[in-house]
Amino acid sequence: MASQSPGVSQRYRWTELGLFIVPFLILILEMSQLLLANKDQTSSLSTRNLPTIQGLIPAVGLIIALLVANMVMSIFFRKADQVLLPLVGLLSGIGILMATRLGPDLSPFPDPALGSRQLVWVLLGIIVCLGTLFLLRNINVLARYKYTSALLGIVLVCTTLVNTLRVKNLDSPTHDQLNIGPFALQPSELLKICLVIFFAAYLSENRDVLAEGSLKFGPFRLPPLRHLGPLALMLGIALLFFLFVRELGLALLIYGLFMAMLYLGSGKISYVVTSLLIFAALGFIGYTLFSYVRARFAVVAFNIVDWQNWTARDDSFASNAGLQIVQGLIALSSGGILGAGLGLGHPAGKHFVPVIQSDMIFTALGEELGLAVLFAIIAVYLLIIYRGFRIAIEATNIFNQLLAAGLTSIFAIQAFIIIAGNMKFLPLTGIPLPFLSYGGSSIIANYIIVGILLRISYNTAVERDGTA
Amino acid sequence: MPLDSFLLILRLLLIVLLYLFLMQVVIAITRDLRKTALTSADGAGQAAPVLGHLVVVDSGPSSITPGTRFDLETQTTIGRGPTNTIQLPDNFISSEHTRLSFRNGQWSVQDAGSVNGTFVNNQPAYNALPAKAGDIVRVGYIQFKLTQ
Repeated sequence: MASQSPGVSQRYRWTELGLFIVPFLILILEMSQLLLANKDQTSSLSTRNLPTIQGLIPAVGLIIALLVANMVMSIFFRKADQVLLPLVGLLSGIGILMATRLGPDLSPFPDPALGSRQLVWVLLGIIVCLGTLFLLRNINVLARYKYTSALLGIVLVCTTLVNTLRVKNLDSPTHDQLNIGPFALQPSELLKICLVIFFAAYLSENRDVLAEGSLKFGPFRLPPLRHLGPLALMLGIALLFFLFVRELGLALLIYGLFMAMLYLGSGKISYVVTSLLIFAALGFIGYTLFSYVRARFAVVAFNIVDWQNWTARDDSFASNAGLQIVQGLIALSSGGILGAGLGLGHPAGKHFVPVIQSDMIFTALGEELGLAVLFAIIAVYLLIIYRGFRIAIEATNIFNQLLAAGLTSIFAIQAFIIIAGNMKFLPLTGIPLPFLSYGGSSIIANYIIVGILLRISYNTAVERDGTA
Repeated sequence: MPLDSFLLILRLLLIVLLYLFLMQVVIAITRDLRKTALTSADGAGQAAPVLGHLVVVDSGPSSITPGTRFDLETQTTIGRGPTNTIQLPDNFISSEHTRLSFRNGQWSVQDAGSVNGTFVNNQPAYNALPAKAGDIVRVGYIQFKLTQ
């Protein structure tokens, strides 16, 4: 940790560099494990026999990128948070290795270049993160553009809606993607950042009004109707996703974000209870009206442990609608505590989990790396979230606090929804696991979030004890 | 087979390294927490004396009488809302209008996104501007003189 005296050696971000060492070791270790597993006869890995140098590219490339990021941060943003980047770097590294390992085994379309593409996305993400740090000099500027941000959000929703109506195939896992040229864009990833900026700006401006609460319904107090309008609009967006785009996960994410930020902004639990009740009611209506919601919940109620007594109907369910979850759980159980070892399990393939590289990545990690590593990964998420909320607590004004807390909540809610979905605890929905899942939009959006968090922590530190 | 046992060792090593990393992060975090606890304890000791005042020079359209003195804290916020350190009941003041902070012996004034702006000696303070004793700080249409 650098102290106040401005010696050159003390101006470096030593803590961050120190925290990078073990993740780097882990990356190299796992990469060599992958190369060795390739030689193993029993391995399912059908990679072209990687030349050692080329095989090391994913790990070494990321290590170099993170070191460069560490140096750039030391020169320009020495006082920014030092713990966030190593945590995020470790997760991205595991994500890249997993993509490298899964790519050649994917079932309808094997994709040996999946890992290198994920690496390129992560590199772009790190660049975008540093770019955000440089461009966003004054965070409060974002508050002035809150309606622009809300508008951008609505435009993103509309494009998704139009696209969905055009595609019509609501059961395909990629129906919410926008295909522009060679890029498949996922507008929902940017949407969540826009929404947090809007919520943070809106709540920080109207905090006094919202905290008082003038409408009374029995034990519940609601803010005046005039101030409820924009918030109700956001709720509407969540519902639109729920009903038309059939993005249950995104609806849950937006609603969870809305409740978290409303509570953070007003400090009133009654708002949260009210919105939860509304959500429960709407959810129930959705459940009775829409068959796709029922189908999603059917998986949660499905008893897998009792597989010996399955009827023919259960059997067909497990190999059709419930295939992803059932196979995912089997993969997890076959991994056990230590896991099969990277490259030695059977996570991807014709009869195994579909969409393993993005939505179901958690089960692939469980099968190959084991329960012990899953716990460690959840702990890494917890530490990221802790760090985010700490940045929020230390921030100097309400907008920055709400923004940091809201952005952190995205990680928390998103990781919870998708991990719970993988575990058959909630209906499975197609949202990516932050930093681990394959996917460009998700990686870039998450790195933008990290950039904003780092900038807030930097601004706070500079305001607290000067630039020295 | 030697390869098998080697792969097993790699697997165990991965788990050991991961938890080592977690431990390292937790240690870094606790050290950080202890440091901030120390500095905030220092800050609490220093914050007791009043660091400066804002004296109303020109009350503009508001009903505040000129000559009113407001005490300043290390982090002072001015605005119409009830959460501000200094609350000014004037229609030309935004709910969160101005932030003043004292660090390294110097005041800095920054607009908090107000409608009518904050000025230090008629310079708009969109970004933090330094201010010293004797400077005129204009918040909306109310003018203050900064005194120590």
